[in-house]
Amino acid sequence: MSNLLALTIIWPLIAGIIAAFLNNKKRVVRPLAQLFAVISSALAILVLYLVSANGTIVLETGSYEAPFGIVLVGDLLSVTLVVTTNIIATACVFYAPKSLTEKQESFFFYSFFFMLITGVSGAFLTGDIFNLFVFFEVLLMASYGLIVLGNGKAQLRESLKYVLINLFSSMLFVTTVAFLYSVVGSVNMAQVAQRVQEVEQQGVLTTIAILFFFVFATKAAVFPLYYWLPRPYVVPNPVVSALFGALLTKVGIYSILRIFTLIFVGELDLTHTIFIYLAAFTMIFGVIGALSTHNVKLIVAYNIIPAVGFMLMGIGIFSEVSISGTIYYLINDMIIKAALFLLVGVIAYVAGTSDLRKMSGLIHHYPALGWLMFISTLVLAGIPPFSGFVGKLLLIQGGLANEEIMVVIASLVSSLLILFSMIRIFVRGFWGEKTKSPPHPERSKSAGRMIWPIAFLLSLTVLLGVGAEWFYPPVEWMGEYLMDPQMYIDSVIKE
Amino acid sequence: MEIVMSILAGILFMTGVYNLLQKQLLRIVIGTALISHGAHLFILTMGELKRGAPPILTDGIEQYTDPLPQALILTSIVISFGVTSLLLVLAYRASKLNGTDNMEQLRGNDYE
Amino acid sequence: MLLAVLLPFIIAIFIPLLSRWKHNLHTGFFVTAVPVVIFIYFIRFIGQGFEPVEREYSWIPSLDMNILLYLDGLSLLFVLLISGIGSLVAFYSIYYLHKSEQLGHFYVYFLLFMGSMLGVVLSDNVFVLYTFWEFTSLSSFLLIGFWNHREGSRYGALKSMLITVFGGLSLLGGLVYLSVITGTSSIQEIMSQRELVLNHEFFPLILGLILLGAFTKSAQFPFHIWLPDAMEAPTPVSAYLHSATMVKAGIFLVARFFPMLSVSEWFFIIVSTVGIFTLCWGSYMAVRQTDLKAILAFSTISQLGMIMAMLGFGTELAIFAAAFHILNHATFKGSLFMVAGIVDHETGSRDIRRLGGLMTFLPITATLALVASFSMAGVPLPFLNGFYSKELFFQSVYELDLSVTGIIAFLQSIFPYLAVFGSIFTFVYSMYFFFGTFRGQGRIEKLPKKPHEAPIGMLVSPLLLVVGVIVIGLIPDLINKPFVEHAASAIGGADISKDIYFWHGIKPPFIMSITVVVFGTILFLVRPKWASVYKIVPGILSLNKFYDGLVARTERYSTVITDGYMNGSLGRYMRLILVAIMLVTFSVMIYTGGFTVDTGNLSDIRVHELLIALVMVIAAFGTIVAKNRIAAILILGVVGYGLAMLFVVYRAPDLALTQLIIETVTVGLFLLVFYHLPKLKKTSESPFTKTMNVIISAGFGLLMTMVAISAHSSKLFDSMSSYFVDNSYELGGGDNIVNVILVDFRGLDTLFEIAVLGIAAMAVFSLIRLREKKKEE
Repeated sequence: MSNLLALTIIWPLIAGIIAAFLNNKKRVVRPLAQLFAVISSALAILVLYLVSANGTIVLETGSYEAPFGIVLVGDLLSVTLVVTTNIIATACVFYAPKSLTEKQESFFFYSFFFMLITGVSGAFLTGDIFNLFVFFEVLLMASYGLIVLGNGKAQLRESLKYVLINLFSSMLFVTTVAFLYSVVGSVNMAQVAQRVQEVEQQGVLTTIAILFFFVFATKAAVFPLYYWLPRPYVVPNPVVSALFGALLTKVGIYSILRIFTLIFVGELDLTHTIFIYLAAFTMIFGVIGALSTHNVKLIVAYNIIPAVGFMLMGIGIFSEVSISGTIYYLINDMIIKAALFLLVGVIAYVAGTSDLRKMSGLIHHYPALGWLMFISTLVLAGIPPFSGFVGKLLLIQGGLANEEIMVVIASLVSSLLILFSMIRIFVRGFWGEKTKSPPHPERSKSAGRMIWPIAFLLSLTVLLGVGAEWFYPPVEWMGEYLMDPQMYIDSVIKE
Repeated sequence: MEIVMSILAGILFMTGVYNLLQKQLLRIVIGTALISHGAHLFILTMGELKRGAPPILTDGIEQYTDPLPQALILTSIVISFGVTSLLLVLAYRASKLNGTDNMEQLRGNDYE
Repeated sequence: MLLAVLLPFIIAIFIPLLSRWKHNLHTGFFVTAVPVVIFIYFIRFIGQGFEPVEREYSWIPSLDMNILLYLDGLSLLFVLLISGIGSLVAFYSIYYLHKSEQLGHFYVYFLLFMGSMLGVVLSDNVFVLYTFWEFTSLSSFLLIGFWNHREGSRYGALKSMLITVFGGLSLLGGLVYLSVITGTSSIQEIMSQRELVLNHEFFPLILGLILLGAFTKSAQFPFHIWLPDAMEAPTPVSAYLHSATMVKAGIFLVARFFPMLSVSEWFFIIVSTVGIFTLCWGSYMAVRQTDLKAILAFSTISQLGMIMAMLGFGTELAIFAAAFHILNHATFKGSLFMVAGIVDHETGSRDIRRLGGLMTFLPITATLALVASFSMAGVPLPFLNGFYSKELFFQSVYELDLSVTGIIAFLQSIFPYLAVFGSIFTFVYSMYFFFGTFRGQGRIEKLPKKPHEAPIGMLVSPLLLVVGVIVIGLIPDLINKPFVEHAASAIGGADISKDIYFWHGIKPPFIMSITVVVFGTILFLVRPKWASVYKIVPGILSLNKFYDGLVARTERYSTVITDGYMNGSLGRYMRLILVAIMLVTFSVMIYTGGFTVDTGNLSDIRVHELLIALVMVIAAFGTIVAKNRIAAILILGVVGYGLAMLFVVYRAPDLALTQLIIETVTVGLFLLVFYHLPKLKKTSESPFTKTMNVIISAGFGLLMTMVAISAHSSKLFDSMSSYFVDNSYELGGGDNIVNVILVDFRGLDTLFEIAVLGIAAMAVFSLIRLREKKKEE
């Protein structure tokens, strides 16, 4: 039964390989990719069902007992995130054919796409810190493949910066793993946690912890390390941006969440206080970035950053409520970011520009698009009853309960500014004088088809908000679970 | 010797970072290569150096050097190779398309 | 009762279908039925011996977010206002909005608002209250933006949204804090634990946050600036949201939390000062306006200030007067907005400078306006409800307790004068509104339309409201005992019972009223003589300019700040990132005493190792100084081969082999690629950047070395590697432990390492081969 867990990683890998061989037969590869993505989601949901029914699934690969072999740990958190990843990916794969050129499709889009899922799912599931590095490389390499797809001038220019900064942080990552290994003699996360706990995180361990934090913070785009993020996320195809926005930074945040609830919890006053300050700066500077531009894609890209701040805030506050808040926000943000990137992709497509100053009155021709934009603005700003609110509420509750007033105020201010930055798209782009015909009438038809995946994702955010009663209790449990690292350790290392 | 090796690896990082901060693409890519050399040397040093035989089981030998860092380095070397080769091609294409290999001229404000 | 709140939302879903189904019938007819039904449902709660009704419906119990409905005197007052005025406005809108407009949209927003507003006043759960609160802001945003082809509409909508959502978020902070302190999210339960809240060290913050929410919503100074711009909405909306109901949500909130918050001195100081000041400012500014709706907007601001001030006074009389005035204001202001709408509709203009002398053309409208505006002015006539509440206001401000000392005493001593001052201007703008529109010399021929009396359907609603004005004026007891008293008691948290008389005798309140009328009349008559004063006072402190500046500056400075560091330069990014990492990591290392050197556990130093290391160091520096690209690449190769040599020395044969091969291939690739690229040039870095680069790279190298030495010096546990040594042959069947680890123990790593190579190959392939045709753009 626990082998199913590996299948959630292996299945997309196989799908990616198959897609690689079919790259020139787009008639075949398109429906096949969609089918594979749906199967992958179904698999993930099945695993989620098993986990929620029977508890954490630990797969010792090659049957080498933990901590010596590599373990995959399917606990509720990681499997939930795998499910979210797959659902988003499925929405994207249905959007892709309309958005990509045929050339781009035939140059291994679907392979990179599935490899990305492999890497992301693997990073969520692995219980081995070096293996985490390997999965990071898988997803990064897939993202390099996706980001250069199309070979535009600006695209390659920005890709270059993206690759270089990620390469640097990967090297720092692997070095830091080595440092950690030197001190505790293990790379198995459960055993590392156990050992760090045993020596009360003494000596150089906190320094190593901070290096880990910076490695993941670079991926997660935390202040002051996010410079690389916005522009490279704008240049590729919208479907690629959506995958990046939904998945890549979130893997970084997930890693911080995991490492700093499981392993490095011995110097909370120091490490987690640093997080709170960085979280506040991340929110404010991120949203300032979003306000600074008139490019709709860039507005959305910048809005990734404050969301990261929100999630980091929960980790910094470090209580059951705030950790649950981070998890809820994480799930919500993955979905809404995917939806938003797809959405601005359509907007830029039908308007023929992504410059807000050149758009006006789109709602008269594309009402559905306009309302989807409006709702996603509300979701992003955390207006109830949409899902963004639940996470934000929990984070504020956690913050106030611990009397972290400043970061709570920062979060409220940045919520307002997020709303401002996003509603500008609606007010300036969608409202306005009705024109006789839309800017590019010939694009209406495919745009109409492109909004279905977006509507699907948005309906999920509504469901996550209005139906929070179904989703919150497990997340609440995850908060308790993460705050008690012993549960994870015991499930992996059986004495 | 571990301290010497740590310093050496630190110097590799240092020169790597210095190259990374330069403008010309070639230097930048060389910088990344140096950094990955430094990283691998760090991993090796983190196992204990020279404590026993090469990790190939031989009769009568009890003490072997730590095999795990070696395995990790091997994985990492291969991955670095993949990334470096991609980076080289990307650097080549990007500079051809944009007509310069100077990163400062590759700032860009147009997003297509 | 839940159904009553949800009804508008449910109907709203069907509106788009409905308007498509019945093209010829105005959608407004369906919509009017909704508030009427709600009104009838709730009116039966009126009566003596009214007990609060509570209903709980489960929504998200795990977040303590249940729909808890609580109907007491206060919420009943608001519910009836919302549904009553709602019915009239909906009916009025049928004649106001032509069928060619996007009626479906309009009525969806309208119902959305109505449902949310009912939710606000009925919710006992703070989170649900907040949900509805934000929804009123959103529906207001959409309604103001209804005619979004107008620049003014978009501007007003955005402004109102930013300001009210700002307040909403602040309110959220306050409410969440309350629930965190008390451990409950029910307002009633929070208030039952008020000692806990009042003694909390952050109580002033909570008070401030909640009041900020209330003040922004109820357009109190200095947040009132969104309300005049909200007049871009269709007039029925102005009458409904921006006068009778939504703007009173802030008043409602203050009233709801009154029993708890009013215990604090700060409550009195802040709320009554802001209220009085808003009263004065609003009425003063109203006289300056030329647009009929703008006059009414400032008048609303001023009246809201008056109600807010009365809540701030906090005496029983003042609370009673506040509850009474909430109702009275809705009647006369609602009808005046409808009158303004009629004038606009029938003449095509709302500019008071172009209007005048309409009495003869719109006699019924004029009569309604006369009654309503005189009631608003507080003219002492026994059939004008406005006078009663004005009189109560004067009485309550006059009877403030003067036995206290300090700032409170000072405030209490100046409030009566401010109250009179504000009321004088209220009188002036009321006269100005009526006489300016309906009397005097009009230039009828220059109006866009030839004026004539409005259709009967349009007159019904204002007429009913004016009847209300008169009936309340003649028989105040009709609503006092069964209705206002309960509302006042609910606010005060104690039984409050007052009688409403017309004639109190010649006492200070009456003298104040007379003063208002006398000075008001004089000021109105000589208005042109002192109008120049407006150039001085709002001229120098225009809050609108401040807002516009703030918004524009937010965007501009954001751009300046962001472009300041996000300049696309990789070098810049890297420098910033590295500096951040170094600063924090070094500090942490020093702070935790992380740096340790243990020389006891080292292997010996051999000369040949040192030689290799030395060569590598020289080569590494060589890459920096190399002037020739081929040389640089080859020197890099030396480092790589040096590393391979080290692998040999340190007994890692597999590594050495792999490194040799890969280094060779990489150097080859380097040469291949850079053969095609420009030659190395002398870098023209500024000395500063150069120094920075040196410091940063040296610092970073040092950091890594220090962490490495410390990590190596503090080996706290035995490595897991002994397992691999012990089991390599038995479990993995191989002698070469590294190989067994790679393919067996850690096979997963290797599998995905291969995947990485595969992806890299595909990426390289697509980089080289994919050539898009020139894009269309």
